Amino acid sequence: MKKILILIAVILVVGCQNKKEEVKSCCSTNKSLIAAQETVLLPDNSVYNLDRKWQNQNGEKVSLAKLSGSPVIMTMIFTHCEYACPMMVNDLKKIEASFSEVERDRFRFVLVSFDDQRDTPKRLKDYAEVQNLGKNWILLHGDAEQVKELSVILQISYNKLEDGSFSHANRKLVLDQNGIIVFGQDGLQANSWPVVGAIRNVF
Amino acid sequence: MLRNGGKKNDDPMKQKKDLLVMWLLLLTASGFSQKTDMVLIPDGNFVPFIKGQTTSIKVQSFWMDENPVTNAEFIAFVIANPQWKPENVKSIFADKDYLSHWKDTIVNSNTISGEKFPVVNVSWFAANDYCKSVGKRLPTMYEWEYAGASLPEGSNDNKILNELITRWYSRQNTGLSNVGSIYRNQFGVWDMYGQIWEWVYDFNSISSNEDSRNKEEIPEGFFCGSAALNASDASDYVTFIRYAFRSSLKGEYTVRKLGFRCAKNVESED
Repeated sequence: MKKILILIAVILVVGCQNKKEEVKSCCSTNKSLIAAQETVLLPDNSVYNLDRKWQNQNGEKVSLAKLSGSPVIMTMIFTHCEYACPMMVNDLKKIEASFSEVERDRFRFVLVSFDDQRDTPKRLKDYAEVQNLGKNWILLHGDAEQVKELSVILQISYNKLEDGSFSHANRKLVLDQNGIIVFGQDGLQANSWPVVGAIRNVF
Repeated sequence: MLRNGGKKNDDPMKQKKDLLVMWLLLLTASGFSQKTDMVLIPDGNFVPFIKGQTTSIKVQSFWMDENPVTNAEFIAFVIANPQWKPENVKSIFADKDYLSHWKDTIVNSNTISGEKFPVVNVSWFAANDYCKSVGKRLPTMYEWEYAGASLPEGSNDNKILNELITRWYSRQNTGLSNVGSIYRNQFGVWDMYGQIWEWVYDFNSISSNEDSRNKEEIPEGFFCGSAALNASDASDYVTFIRYAFRSSLKGEYTVRKLGFRCAKNVESED
């Protein structure tokens, strides 16, 4: 008898909870970090599992998953940054110069801005022009939340300072075709060759 | 998988199912409700541990959970958001020990306990998503440190809090107990110290005077030793341990004694 009662209780509880589950999951999906249904099948350890919409320098909405297909060198900067970020961009240009014209079409540079307030797509486009960045360079603008999430995944520490600028780690990462981090390098004016090697490895 | 005769209980999926069913029973049994009490933390100034010598930081008023998030609350979240079930979670968002204590304490010992224990073994991504799912957010590091600096109720001596923390840090192997059982501070928040370490939203911020103009290859704040030189009170050893611990974390890490509580802006309360 006791067993039957317990069984009934289990059925009732599980039944109720299942209903609850349906209701809850329908409503919380939008808020959720990860979409329950991925359109692109990504490996579990892909950075591109971060399912957020960014805006590129042309004002187009893009998801990170769109970057899959070719290797990427990714870093985070802000355009009002006077010293470290231009040096970082210079380092990346040096890396680019190590590749032939044909090879350059086979991977992309992605610069993600820390500055969700001032680095609008327009501002990023101007920056790309001033810095003379080619068509294989993508600059991304996102809100503070998605910038934080990406920084956590890329292990790029940063602080927003009171004057609106940022203190941040200078770290670049090489991601393979699937968005898996295969190499990370800290610092400015670092050797190009490890990064070049990492890219060639995943070509 | 069935090589050993395929004993039913060896099937991890079955164990996980059992686990969920048991937790569902538990939730019902404990009259679980999703509403967690929050406490209004008044605005104020405090000197963070690592921020030059004297810079005082103004913290705006905010709401903070009275208690850390419990196992019972987190299981409800996992059920509503199946992508956070241990078997579904992606490795970039949580490492392999994610929620591993559920299996140990619930399935193996076949006992139901710990529903009011703080949830641990959760990654930053899981904690962050949990808070968003209940219309909240993780507290910032400054908010957490500011709230944590409040002395225990009925005490006016800094030493008491420091001793409590030091004593706790020195015996990290003790088990967990129900939330709200260690001490309540003068803001009305429970157990900021004494049970678990807690995630903060900006755990990956640079806790030193490093900035982007510095040409050095690696920010000095990355090293515990040099960061300590920036400390506003070098004797504040316990705080130093906390900052060092945070800077050692990655977003997908899960740790046996690391949980979280949520916060909320004052404006969003209305």
